Amino acid sequence: MKTATGHEFSNPRADELFQYHRQQIFVRTDRLFARLMIVQWVAGIAAALFIAPRTWSGQASHVHMHVWGAIFIGAAISAFPLWMIRTAPGAAVTRHVIAVAQMLMSALLIDLTGGRIETHFHVFGSLVILSFYRDWKVLIPATVVVGLDHFLRGVYWPYSVYGVLTASPWRSIEHAGWVVFEDVFLVISCLRSVREMRSIANRTAALEAAEQNSRQIFEDAPIGMAVVGLDERFQRTNAAFRDMLGYSEEELTGRTPLDITYADDLEISRQLAEQMLHGTARSSIEKRYVSKAGQVLWATRSGCVIRDGSGNPQHFLIMVEDISDRRAAEEALRQSKHELESALKANQLIMDNSLDVICTLDAEGRFVTVNAACMSLWSYMPEELIGRASIELVHPDDRARTEEAAHNIRLSGHLTDFVNRCIRKDGAIVDVLWAATWSEADQTHFCVAHDVTERARIEKALREAKEEADRANHAKIEFLSRMSHELRTPLNAILGFGQLLERQSPNAMQRTRVGHIISAGRHLLDLINEVLDISRIEAGRLQLSLEPVPVADTMTEVVDLMRPLAAERATKLSTGAMPDKSTHVMADRQKFKQVLLNLLTNAVKYTPSGGSVTISAERRADGHVRVIVSDTGPGIAPDKIARLFTPFERLGAERSTVEGTGLGLALSQRLMHAMKGTIGVDTAPDCGSRFWVELPCAQSPLDQITSSRNGDHAALSNDTRTILYVEDNLSNLTLIEQLLADQPQTTLITAMQGRMALDLARQHKPDLILLDLHLPDLPGWDVLAELQKHDATRHTPVVIISADATSRQIKRLLEAGAHAYLTKPIDVPEFFRVIDNVAGSHGVATNGATPNPIPVLT
Amino acid sequence: MVAHPRCPCTRASIGELARIMARAKGKLSAVVLFVRPESVDCSWNETDLWRSARQIPGVTTVVDAGGVAAKKLGAETSGHVLLFAPDGRLLFNGGITESRGHAGGNLGENTILSLVTGETVQRNQTPVFGCALANPERAGQRPKCAR
Repeated sequence: MKTATGHEFSNPRADELFQYHRQQIFVRTDRLFARLMIVQWVAGIAAALFIAPRTWSGQASHVHMHVWGAIFIGAAISAFPLWMIRTAPGAAVTRHVIAVAQMLMSALLIDLTGGRIETHFHVFGSLVILSFYRDWKVLIPATVVVGLDHFLRGVYWPYSVYGVLTASPWRSIEHAGWVVFEDVFLVISCLRSVREMRSIANRTAALEAAEQNSRQIFEDAPIGMAVVGLDERFQRTNAAFRDMLGYSEEELTGRTPLDITYADDLEISRQLAEQMLHGTARSSIEKRYVSKAGQVLWATRSGCVIRDGSGNPQHFLIMVEDISDRRAAEEALRQSKHELESALKANQLIMDNSLDVICTLDAEGRFVTVNAACMSLWSYMPEELIGRASIELVHPDDRARTEEAAHNIRLSGHLTDFVNRCIRKDGAIVDVLWAATWSEADQTHFCVAHDVTERARIEKALREAKEEADRANHAKIEFLSRMSHELRTPLNAILGFGQLLERQSPNAMQRTRVGHIISAGRHLLDLINEVLDISRIEAGRLQLSLEPVPVADTMTEVVDLMRPLAAERATKLSTGAMPDKSTHVMADRQKFKQVLLNLLTNAVKYTPSGGSVTISAERRADGHVRVIVSDTGPGIAPDKIARLFTPFERLGAERSTVEGTGLGLALSQRLMHAMKGTIGVDTAPDCGSRFWVELPCAQSPLDQITSSRNGDHAALSNDTRTILYVEDNLSNLTLIEQLLADQPQTTLITAMQGRMALDLARQHKPDLILLDLHLPDLPGWDVLAELQKHDATRHTPVVIISADATSRQIKRLLEAGAHAYLTKPIDVPEFFRVIDNVAGSHGVATNGATPNPIPVLT
Repeated sequence: MVAHPRCPCTRASIGELARIMARAKGKLSAVVLFVRPESVDCSWNETDLWRSARQIPGVTTVVDAGGVAAKKLGAETSGHVLLFAPDGRLLFNGGITESRGHAGGNLGENTILSLVTGETVQRNQTPVFGCALANPERAGQRPKCAR
């Protein structure tokens, strides 16, 4: 490259080095002249003192004027350049001032020595010293000063410059010629010197760049590198080396490679170092290092000895590459290979011993490999099948779907549970179950074929047996149902007439006998009812009406029902912790009560006289309410608990005097499951029992009312209307009464039975009928049908409110004429919206317009 | 030669005199008159210059008390040389240094040696470089060691 000054340099650094060195020379030479100036000044004074310290005139003498001249003129000449050297060392103006001053000093000395020719050499010497600047330009002012001095003094004061009174002009020309002659050589010398300096700067820059490059290569090398002295201590390490081992440069300096070598590899490391020192050019081993953190690293360590020109070793250069991952990979590969070999052996064993055919097929379905099991499946030797199309073995009737399956396997990649019929070599037909995988990369099917002829036969037999069993079970349920019905009829007579006899004042013996008849009849009735319930549940015919049920009220109710039995058996019946009135569970009220009665009945029956039975409840953290029935009875042995909920299982009580069917707990469990609840027991022999049931909490209807009063309820219409609500559940009745209490324009009529509802509808002609489906005397759909039959009630809109949310039921009721269908628990805002819409549309309809279609709301 | 015993420039003249005496190889005899002012004691003129002159073979040093002889010879500057023939004729009159205190070959020296060998010379006068001799007429002037 070419610099701004037009000189050639290999790079900017060369120019920088050149300028730096040149400046150093300028400054150094300035300092040289500074000393020289002082020496010259002192020398001039000394010379003046030596040559002519005083001048005499007879007896009188004075200091010679040359002495004064040497002191003052010499000082004047030297002062300014000295100041310049101090203030601007190295500056061009400084050295030019020095050049002028130096020549003036020469002139002074020449004058002081009376123009001695020897002092003229001061000029030449000064020019030579000025050339130390290696700046030929500095010779120009020096030469000009010398020339002018010689010319002027040669003309006007030849004595002072040549020591003669008259001087020939040729003498000045001669002196000037010598000066120019010297200048020529000095200029050449300066130019050569500068050229050499540039060359050196270029070489130095190149060396620096090369060294920097080497350092950079060393430092940034992706593998660890280190320079180790002959004393075996680290001298330099690169970043990769330090990162690999976790040491800093300072920590490694002073250590030896052996200090970080794994103990088992120390000996071989020492041997290799010795070998390298005694001739082996380079070495490479795989060894282990120990990092600062104590981790053992596998590494490839290559090393060589760096020697000087005479072959004397200078230091070691070692290169370390972390091969821990490679070692781990090799180990993993070795392990994998071992496992693969094991797997291959295992596969071979499997194939050799498998009872299933394991084979591979090419893309055209021809056998490529097949194991010996083909002999038992198809009666073909493996060599008879290799190269043969597998479709040839398939029964002609199954070939089409087999080819379709083969096509599909290409799309999905695999095939399972495909069964076709194949023809053995002996002509027999076998059912074959196929599992196959298609490898697109290998263009190969990997197949396993299994003889399922026997399995198919067994499955068919099982299927037939199950169907038979289902038929039998269905027949059993039908039988039980019919038998229950058929048994109820004579029981009606037995119990009815038994009670009639009891009212006709029998004597004591007759009363006892009648009592046995009635007791046995009631027992039989209970048995029939429970059998019917279980049959209904198992047949999936159980109908539940899930709604919020107040827990405390229900508990109080069942306790009241149980008090007579407890009193009869001298058992203390009490209530424990009770939930507050607002605690509700989502359940069918009747079924929930039935379960609690079952538990209490069992507790009272199995607790000896004088014992106690307690019912309590608690709210669980998981959002459930647990009702607990505790007794002080004999408890239940752990081995019997598993059979506790089995129908007709009385756990040995059948041998006691306690009456029972063995169906109570089984029925309770099924009812709890149907209501999404749980039932369980904590018991131990002689420690009593704690039976419990859990049901999910539900929001209290009263809470729903409270929340609804700030909602859509405020927007109800002001038209007067009459609503008939048909519901046998008192809680639900109360709920609707509360909901409509804030509507003075609405008159609510309630009915708890279907027939009563029909009478009230005909009598009051309500604007809207809210109808529950589960009524004690008539099902809700029968009530709806009756309403549809009569002119007076045919157009009265009916909204069904039921816990049955099945689509089949909803569709059935809407088709039967219901205007809308609401499910329990009631969404209050939705309830108001629906009754407003239905009552409103009805009012329009009564005026002769067609009612607007009402949406189905569930 | 007439010399001021303390003139530094005359040292070169004494040196040149020694060279002339050596080259003349006995054909010359020389007398150096060291001018001593009257008011000083006798040791005033016993300088190194005086001792140097005494050591030159063929040279006789004479103290010129009060500069009487110098005055008679018309010498005013130290280093003034006058060469007389055996018959009393003045052959050369001037200095024998190229310049002030400047040793080395010079016209005065060459002229004297030529005259000694009988050669013809074109000039027999040269400038004299040195201090002023004790000259009552210049007593008030600033002394100088020059021509």
